[in-house]
Amino acid sequence: MLTLLSVSISTIVLINVKKWNWNALFVALAMMTFLSITTVNNSGSASWSFLSHSLAVDSLSAPLIILSCWLAPLCFLAQNVVKGNSSSLQNGFLALTCSIIFFLLLTFSSLNILSFFICFEATLIPTLVLITRWGANVERLQAGTYFLFYTLFGSLPLLVSIVLISQTTSTLMIPISEIVTLQGNTFFSINIWWIITIVAFLVKMPVYGFHLWLPKAHVEAPVAGSMILAAILLKLGGYGIIRMNAYFPDVTTLSAILTVICCWGTLITSILCTRQTDLKALIAYSSVGHMSLVAAGTIVFSDWTISGAIMLMIAHGLVSSALFALANILYERTHTRNIFITRGFKMITVLLPFWWLISCAANLGLPPLPNLIGELYIITGIISWSIFLAPILGVATVFGAIYSLLIYQNTNTQSIVLSSMSFNEISPREHILILFHLLPLLSIIVAPNSCMVWSN
Amino acid sequence: MLKLGRCVHLLARCTNQTSSFARTLASGGTDITKPFRQIRDGLSWTIPKDLQNSDRPPGEVDVLIIGGGAMGSSIAYFLKAARKAGVSVAVVERDSGYSMSSTVLSVGSIRQQFSTPENIYMSMYSAQFIKNVQEHLQVEGSDPPDLQFNDQGYLFLATKDKEHILHENHIIQKNCGAKVELMTQNQLKKRFPWMNTDNVTLGSYGLENEGWLDPWSLLKSFKEKAIDLGAKYYNAEVTGFNVVDDDAKPIDPTQFAPNGRRLNSVMVSMINSPEVVEVKSSYVVLTAGAWSGQLGKLLGIGTGPKEENLHMPIPVEPRKRYVYFFHCPEGPGLECPLLIDPSGSYVRREGFGGNYLCGKSPNECDEPSCEDLNVNYDFFDTEIWPNLAHRIPVMEKLKVKSAWAGYYDYNCLDQNAIIGSHPAYGNFLMATGFSGHGIQQSPAVGKLVSEKILAGEFQTIDVSKFGFERCITETPVLERCVI
Repeated sequence: MLTLLSVSISTIVLINVKKWNWNALFVALAMMTFLSITTVNNSGSASWSFLSHSLAVDSLSAPLIILSCWLAPLCFLAQNVVKGNSSSLQNGFLALTCSIIFFLLLTFSSLNILSFFICFEATLIPTLVLITRWGANVERLQAGTYFLFYTLFGSLPLLVSIVLISQTTSTLMIPISEIVTLQGNTFFSINIWWIITIVAFLVKMPVYGFHLWLPKAHVEAPVAGSMILAAILLKLGGYGIIRMNAYFPDVTTLSAILTVICCWGTLITSILCTRQTDLKALIAYSSVGHMSLVAAGTIVFSDWTISGAIMLMIAHGLVSSALFALANILYERTHTRNIFITRGFKMITVLLPFWWLISCAANLGLPPLPNLIGELYIITGIISWSIFLAPILGVATVFGAIYSLLIYQNTNTQSIVLSSMSFNEISPREHILILFHLLPLLSIIVAPNSCMVWSN
Repeated sequence: MLKLGRCVHLLARCTNQTSSFARTLASGGTDITKPFRQIRDGLSWTIPKDLQNSDRPPGEVDVLIIGGGAMGSSIAYFLKAARKAGVSVAVVERDSGYSMSSTVLSVGSIRQQFSTPENIYMSMYSAQFIKNVQEHLQVEGSDPPDLQFNDQGYLFLATKDKEHILHENHIIQKNCGAKVELMTQNQLKKRFPWMNTDNVTLGSYGLENEGWLDPWSLLKSFKEKAIDLGAKYYNAEVTGFNVVDDDAKPIDPTQFAPNGRRLNSVMVSMINSPEVVEVKSSYVVLTAGAWSGQLGKLLGIGTGPKEENLHMPIPVEPRKRYVYFFHCPEGPGLECPLLIDPSGSYVRREGFGGNYLCGKSPNECDEPSCEDLNVNYDFFDTEIWPNLAHRIPVMEKLKVKSAWAGYYDYNCLDQNAIIGSHPAYGNFLMATGFSGHGIQQSPAVGKLVSEKILAGEFQTIDVSKFGFERCITETPVLERCVI
């Protein structure tokens, strides 16, 4: 664990090497990625490995750490050039992205709830600066405001809850959380305690009622920001709920209500997706839909749903990031994100429709890709908890298929405007970018245990 | 990092907005449309005021329309009316008072009597649109638009030697479904007793959907509805274009296929200010009227190599035309159509007080200079009055009250519209060169260009005959009835 962090710190130092900034960073981050794969834990239990005083990895955090390390070089591959001619602006961008990744690694591996919270919050500021400084449109200011204040107000109650936990249990170590059971004084207080703990993560995930920041932030962020946001920052929410739920084994009424809200949220966002005009907003809403499902799974908190949640988080991270990268490839060429204008690229871009097809197929949950495994596990668990949610989740899955195929159909197979189709060919850099998003998906198929097992 | 401070400052102002909707209601404000719009654009209250009412075009827009006259506003309206598409539209117009625009200086007439079927279909579509304008262009909270459409018809007169042209055109017009009828000399004498039918043997009279309207109202209605639907108008001027031509491959120029060159962004300079904004846009539509040829030269159309189809300029130039407003106390009344004399002069009734508008296209050799819009009254005395007096005897006694001049966006090749994209720049569309019959085709052109952008092809009427390719191959599509 220490080696991992030292490599990540050294990448920030490497930024000052003026001549080969982007490429050097890419190489350093790639080395870090390969180091991180050593954290994969196949032993099939929830034991902690790489244990140190305050940092450790268990089978919940290992896949997420690998995901964040894997996406770091891919962001720099996607965002090859950034607005601003001075080298300090370029270096600023690199430093911000590296600091986000650094804090993410700390978040996923921290053993102390408070340090988890601090690093959780620390990822907000660099992301905010990324959106407001390097976004493309004037709406990015509103997007930044929404993003910052939604997540900030969500996590203030979490701080209160952490202080309460440390007061009552006089420890903040995560491994101890399984032995400790919190008890409220009155009937409602344990529910309220649970709610104020969870709401930060519900906003972060986001579930349907608290999701307004996500379409704005994803659309206005530069592509590296969108990729990191969609792939990993959303998973912080899922990770947090799974960790904190260990303290609250008895919240039944409220968790029932929240599960139903999350399931309905999945349905509503999937329907909303079919009516979007902005390609990036479409992919953003699809993220909301998938993450609402993950949230429902983590709140139900059975073996199957938690495994499904972890699997879906990893798979969705890769696929969503791939879709944003693909949307950006088209956006750089046509300068518009409107799906009625970016259409019919099947005959024009070579090989790209293949990547579009795999990404959209993964998004809708095509077997044997891990998206399906995750969704199936979650849906099975939720249905066994309550049969009445079956039609809602069923229709939500159907609409998920509808809009994923809509993305593919509109960008590739729709009637083309031949006269306006003249632009640069797709470079190998972009092909490699998407390939490396999709390769881990294929490798997870043959090694599902790496992303799944987490039993109390 | 100074920018970071500014960003934080702007963020602080974002959250500081008080709702002006409440203030409007409380003060019993007279502007009742503003609250409707604020409710409809729900999130606008969180955008800082100076970003909301910005005069500067945004850095990026889906469709940029150059020129905000009838054509540009019509295209903006139709693009935004296709609400499902959610396209962002910016219209750049340098003359906010429209003082030299052909739209407002035009006589504003509409006819179906053309010889090219596409022209006939476009006018028919536009006539339908204009008759139903109140349901298309009404803005919530204001009065429905009133275009003062008088459908009194056009009357083309022909002498013996030009009769056959009228006959041939009549067949084409009937095939397209226009409601026109041919009238012999006797029928003309009976129908219009105030007309002198001496050497006229045939007349072609439009029975329906022909007449005149108020072009300024049409422009205003299009513009206000487009703004209501979300299009943005900017008072600025286009002064340059940026082109991306990586991977530009040499192509066979006769194929008119794309070659890797793309219009990337447009340099828009603000009026009375040295500021120049670079606007990246996915499509650029040129509807600059009489100045389209000039703007084309900025893009290199006309000065480029032949292999890339850039050697022919856009053949549109301004031509000055005079319109005279006179009073004739005993002139024909309500039944007066827009009469077109075989000599080329035209006259129509204006209002109900015995006032008329008239004009004539001068011969090729006598074209007035286009430097300004001053009127030459001698032209009326020598060229128009004798013909008018001969055709309508009571018009010997008339008094010219006023006159104005306006520009035709004259297509030197064949006086017909140029609608379509340029072969070298796939995302550069043109809708110009209407040579005097622009107003009557503006709704149809708006619909067609919006279809070209959103669906990739012309769906309502196939106007590929009017594409720019004919300017490159120099094959004119001649229109016989040009006024």
